[in-house]
Amino acid sequence: MHKAVRISKGRGGWGGPLIIQPTDEKNMIVSVTGGGVDPIAQKIADMTGAVAGDGFTTGIPENRIAAVVIDCGGTARCGVYPRKRIPTVNLMATGPSGPLAKYITEDIYVSGVNAEDIAPADAQETAGIVREAPVPAEARSGAGKSQDAVTRIGKGVGAVVGKFFQAGRDTIEMVIKHILPFMAFVSMIIGIIQGSGLGDVIARTISPAAGSLPGMIVISFICAIPFISPILGPGAVIAQVVGVIVGEQIAKGAIRPSLALPALFAIDAQVGCDFIPVGLSLGEAEPDTISAGVPAVLFSRMITGPIAVIIAYIFSIGLY
Amino acid sequence: MDYLAKLAEGFINLFNLGGATFLSWVTGIIPTLVVLITFVNALISIIGEERMDGFAKACGKFFLLRYTVVPVIAMFVLCNPMAYTFGRFVEEKHKPAFYDAAVSFCHPITGLFPHANAGELFVYLGIANGITALGLSLSPLAVRYFIVGVIVILIRGIVTERLTLRFMKKGEG
Repeated sequence: MHKAVRISKGRGGWGGPLIIQPTDEKNMIVSVTGGGVDPIAQKIADMTGAVAGDGFTTGIPENRIAAVVIDCGGTARCGVYPRKRIPTVNLMATGPSGPLAKYITEDIYVSGVNAEDIAPADAQETAGIVREAPVPAEARSGAGKSQDAVTRIGKGVGAVVGKFFQAGRDTIEMVIKHILPFMAFVSMIIGIIQGSGLGDVIARTISPAAGSLPGMIVISFICAIPFISPILGPGAVIAQVVGVIVGEQIAKGAIRPSLALPALFAIDAQVGCDFIPVGLSLGEAEPDTISAGVPAVLFSRMITGPIAVIIAYIFSIGLY
Repeated sequence: MDYLAKLAEGFINLFNLGGATFLSWVTGIIPTLVVLITFVNALISIIGEERMDGFAKACGKFFLLRYTVVPVIAMFVLCNPMAYTFGRFVEEKHKPAFYDAAVSFCHPITGLFPHANAGELFVYLGIANGITALGLSLSPLAVRYFIVGVIVILIRGIVTERLTLRFMKKGEG
């Protein structure tokens, strides 16, 4: 018999409270936290009588999942499971954000969760929890009636204008939620690098090594080492910061401009390594495929990371 | 006293420099970016994502297209991270290789089509800013980044496909 628990948002968190009630079929608490079962996932499993599983290294079929525990600071992952209407517990205090923000709602998602936010649920709370995809609100009425030409043209124009307007709205939201915050953060780093003289230190020490083909091959190989690459991945934050530092060195003349191309691949050998099981489940992969796919991608990068740098180096001949 | 004043000046100077950088980006990068992304978003929503499905399914059968055309179109139309849902159009044993190819294209595409991964622009923009600072044109870099990106994802697809088959066999035995 499985018990229900009530999970509330933690300090600075958002959403919830969620009632997690595993059943005989849905009896897995899946931890997608970059390898291993997080203690929070284990605690939820212990309190409910469910089984905790590591969703990073082993694939778990979606129809067995009672809840997912993630640690996502606001990139793609925090929306993936809410989109599938799987109850999602985020250890980071992240609100609705990322490209899938619209799927992150209070009835399916709770964030900033600590161990003390998990409590046994009352009997009345567990009654009547339904987690189905919301029914689309608009029901088509009057379809099939013939419309005159003017009405049809009018509707057609309206639909196109509506699409353009929605595109504009999506774009502005993207700029405000993602691009501007990153520009602010990176501007701060650049200010500190330029103003403190750190840039000169980097130019004298690291750039000579990083600004050569062997140096870049070594960097790509290090980024691709299977236990390092998933850590470097999330949100491409590290790749972006390193990209800015390399750009600064190009501007200073410490690195040749033509080397920009191989550098782009050298600093990005780890791209998406943190996201493999989630990406595969978006592609509706079977659990066995995920189990084989995670090591396959991770090891492949050790080979293809340096190869990418070499190809880019060849293509950089004649650039600038 | 002088020393303290110098220190304060140095401290605020860090943020003045950062502020100047921020301003140059907001006025130099954002306006074109906003209009471009709006255009492409509208185009994609008018074409409709469903229409790409049949095309992707047909291309998924051939390895040359599976790790080049399909991930590029997926990333262009669906963007990061929904591009990976195109994995459903390829065979089970090819899914990890397809994911590897698609995710490896989420930055090379941003040089020409920033809408595809607008949240992670600075992998490219960070380095590209150095080129701009030297007064050089970005177009050659963006085009080559795209082309090399396609070659690299093809190689990644092939290597990862081999490794996946090997790990799958190991799992059985």
